[in-house]
Order: sequence, then C-alpha cells, then structure tokens
Amino acid sequence: MVVVSEKVQQAAAEKLVDALNKMEGVESSVDLRTSGTQNRPIVNALVTPENWRAVAEELKDIHEVDHCSMITGIHWPESNDKTWEVVYHFLRTGIQDPIIVDGLVIPNIVDYSKVKGKEVPLEIQISVNIQDTRTPSVATVQDIWVGADWNEKETWDLVGIDFEGHIGMRRVLNPHESPVGFHPLQKQHKLRYHGFQEMYDDAQGFKRKPVDSSRVK
Amino acid sequence: MAEMWISMGPQHPMTHGLWTLKVKVDGETVVDTEPDLGYIHRGVEKICESRDFTQITTYCDRLCYASANTWSHAYIYAAEDLLGVEVPERAEYIRLIAVEIQRIASHLMWLGAYGPDIGNLSVMVWCLREREMMMDLLQELGGSRMHYNFPRIGGVKRDLPHGFALRARHKLKLFLDRIQEYEALFDESTVFLIRSQGVGYAKPEEMINHGVSGPNIRAAGVNHDIRTSHPYSVYSELDWAPAVERSSIKGADCYDRYRIRVEEMRQSANLVLQALDKIPGGAETYHEPGDPKILGKAPTRAPEGTSGSHHFEDSRGESMFYIAGGGEGRGKMPYRVSIRSPMFITIPYASKCMIGYKVADIPAIMGSFDPCIGETDR
Repeated sequence: MVVVSEKVQQAAAEKLVDALNKMEGVESSVDLRTSGTQNRPIVNALVTPENWRAVAEELKDIHEVDHCSMITGIHWPESNDKTWEVVYHFLRTGIQDPIIVDGLVIPNIVDYSKVKGKEVPLEIQISVNIQDTRTPSVATVQDIWVGADWNEKETWDLVGIDFEGHIGMRRVLNPHESPVGFHPLQKQHKLRYHGFQEMYDDAQGFKRKPVDSSRVK
Repeated sequence: MAEMWISMGPQHPMTHGLWTLKVKVDGETVVDTEPDLGYIHRGVEKICESRDFTQITTYCDRLCYASANTWSHAYIYAAEDLLGVEVPERAEYIRLIAVEIQRIASHLMWLGAYGPDIGNLSVMVWCLREREMMMDLLQELGGSRMHYNFPRIGGVKRDLPHGFALRARHKLKLFLDRIQEYEALFDESTVFLIRSQGVGYAKPEEMINHGVSGPNIRAAGVNHDIRTSHPYSVYSELDWAPAVERSSIKGADCYDRYRIRVEEMRQSANLVLQALDKIPGGAETYHEPGDPKILGKAPTRAPEGTSGSHHFEDSRGESMFYIAGGGEGRGKMPYRVSIRSPMFITIPYASKCMIGYKVADIPAIMGSFDPCIGETDR
C-alpha cells in the first residue's frame, strides 16, 4: 500500500506554518515526531487565547482542517509561564468528494503517491496558554467542528476549563450531582501524597490526611 | 399524542455496556435523543499520573475489554514518541500481527453481539467459536486471554513462539473460509435485511465534522484510514488497501456498517498472513525476551516540557494518546495523559442518527456503530 510519504507531509506542514505565522498571536513550527521506525512531521502552534477564535476559523475555512481529534486541558499550578493549557489536536484528512453513479457512492480510493496541496493529510497540534486565574476560559470551537462539542464538555468536567459560548455545557463523565468546582484532574487533588498511596493503603478514605482537605469525596 | 422522554438503560440490551440513552418519543417515532455517559468512569487519566510509563500499559489494556491489544499499542506509540525510542523492525512486524489479530477478534465480538440485537441468535455462537481461535493465537503471544500487556516501550514482550506461524496460517485460512458462511447467514436472512437496510443513515460530510472515524466512516464511501493517511508501523510494506464500502447517496445504513466490518476482518487476516511471510529474520526464528532484535533500549524519564502524541487506527475508529512529560519523580511519571476514545465522540453522533426512526430501530442503529463503554468512560 502506498502511504503518505514523509517528504510530502513535511512540505505541506511548512506551507501551513508559513501561513499561520503571518497571523497575529501565532508562533508555529514544524515538529518532527516519531512513530516506531518512522518520522512524522506535524504542525505545532502556540496561539494566544484572544486570537484563538480567529485562527480556528481560518484553519477550517482556508486550510481545510476538517477533523477535530481531541481537546486536552492541563493544569500547571507550578509552571512559570502558564497555569492552564488547552491542547487541541486536529487532522486535515484530505478527503475528496466521492463520485456518485446511479444513486450509489463510488468509494474514493486516494492514491497517496499523487496527493498535493490541501489534499495532503496533516496533523496539527495547537496549544493555548491561559494565565493564572480562578476561572480559566477560552473561546469555544463547538460551532466550527461539531466533534469538539463533547471534547469541550469533557475538558470542563475533568479539568475545569470553561469554553466561552459553548451551548449545553454539562457533566459528562463525573456524576451529575458532583459539587460545583470539583474537577478531578486539577493538581490539588492527589492520589499519592507523602509516600502514601490512597488507592492501596486507604481505599475507604478513613485515614485521610488534613493536608488534603481540599479533596471532595 | 404528547411527546415524552423515556430512558433506555443503563441496563438495557441495546446499550452494550452501561449508559443511558434518553429518548424523546412521539408515539413510536424518535424525536430527540440525549446520551448520558459516565457510569463506569474509573479516572484512568488521573491514575496514570501516579504510575510510571511501563505500568500504564496495563491500565490501557483495560480500557476496552474486546480490543485490549489495540489500546495498549496506541499508548506505547505515544510513549515512544515522548521518550524518543527507536523500535526494531522485527518488533514492528510482531506488533502489527498482534494488532490485526485483535482487530479480527474485536469485530467478531461485535458481529456476535449484533446478531442477537436484531433477532439472529445463532450467529453469536458461530462468531464466538471463531473468536476463540483468535484468542488462542493472542494467548500464545501475550500469555493471557483478555488483557495481554503485550507491547513494551521499545518493542514487544516476547518473540513469536515456536510454531506460531504454522498455527496462525492454518487458523486464519480456516477463518477466511468461514467468513463466507457468516455472510451467507446474514445476507440470506430476511429478518436481518429488513431490520438493517435503509435504517440509520449516517452522512459522510456530517461524520467528518462530528469527528466520527474508522469503520463507521469508511462504510459511507470515505477513504479515511489512519494506517495510510498518517502512517505508522510497517503497513506501507504490505500489499493492501483500506476497505471502503459503496453506500447510497443518503449515507451509510446499518447494512453498510456490517459489510465494512466483514471486509475489514478479511483484510486483517490477509495482513497477518503477509506479515508472517515478510517478517525480517523469518517467522520461525525465536529470540529470548529482551533481545535487541525485539526490544530497543528506552529511557525511563521524560523531562518537563516534552510531549508525545500518536493517532492510532483502533478497531472502532481513531484512538489517540497525548502525554505531557515531567510528572512526579523527576519525570518518571507523566504529568498528564489524555485519551481520545473513538466511541466517546461517536455515541453522541449515533444518537442523532436515530431521529426520525422508530423505537424498535434503536438497537439496530446503536449496535451497528459498535459501542464500547469501557473506553468511552475511561
């Protein structure tokens, strides 16, 4: 099977990086990631929260980034340059419209030795850093990629980063009756403290230490 | 008649796990739906933050009980990206064999569960019989029947055992013959055809935007396969093409989603047979565990500021791991592990596909998307 070659992906990634760097508040570069025996070039960008919405719209409309894979929220309480980080992973799938004959869709088998321009599949990773605040929030992309909808719900539910303009925000993995402000992936909630491993040493929570009083159970 | 909400689940045969589908009905017609997940949320992402990189493999195995190997491999590729590990080529072939056999086992489990959903009980017994052959092969590789803990950062736990190639070829050839029997059993069953054809159309352009991937999107004639578009492993060296189904212009119905999985099983069997022929060093050679031919050297710590990610073609779609390094123990543990579950994204979309159909169609539509709640809730 002919797969996408590293060279073609590298060239496509460089092109996208050039276009992104011209936008305001974007620093991007081509990262060389590895997978087993191969290298894969990906686009890695750092976007300021104020410009994120404009960048997202341009990615979808002009650069045909059509698939939102994952949204990850990270809490960095001890880091110098950020306290919250949202990492977006997108794919440009390069899918072309299939041919329709007599009401049947003829499968569109892409020949990856000939793809060029915006048909080249590409991975895009975008980080948005948020400064120290009690109510972290970033603009939603729910209406641009519907695939981001449940990812954003999950990020708010687990990490506590809110998405401005998100419609229908609610708990998805935690119980609906979880206390307000309880987001288990924030770093003040610890599984292991002072060499003490809650899961094995105190499964019932009887010997809970006062240090961890912020924990909700 | 007044519209009303009813709850299907958490314990309903349609759910294939533990979750609730809230359905708004107008008589027998579905008007609106709302999935409610999280019943078996175990907090795997949080647990991973206090485990070292090797220990996490076992947790990833347990994300999905029907397709354990694909999940641990997805994690291992991301961890290798983070730690910067070179993998020997022989190990890559062994991984491909393990993953593709697992894909067959997972699809067989799906087919076996989908039959009873729409009134064809005998197919379940047949599918589980063949799944047993695949489980035997995986047991030879990993040592256990469900949770193999087979891949290691830098390679695999063990080489192919003596005689594995012979038994695998025999069983896969037998399996390729028997697929025809399943196809006959389904395609000649009037009940199956009535309940699956023209039901639950899913449009390709909607599916891409909703983040649906894997067999569900290939059923609609879209050629989107991570194995070819974002290549990993040694798929480029084998002779194959992703299975893509011809669907109608309305999109893929339940029947298309059944066809694509049968085609994929065939393809996986062919991939394994080819990999057994092409594996460097030959399939009959055996290296002791830890030999540099099957296990590369890997560092145990990832400093702060590093990150690794990998997209992986799971049996149900695109799975993905993102790992940020620099956690406890000077980077011995990850700072944050994030998991993309294909079904977490697909279930909300599948629920929207039901609108306009009858309540009795819900099991047929939901089952055809192959839900697995273990990975959805994490």
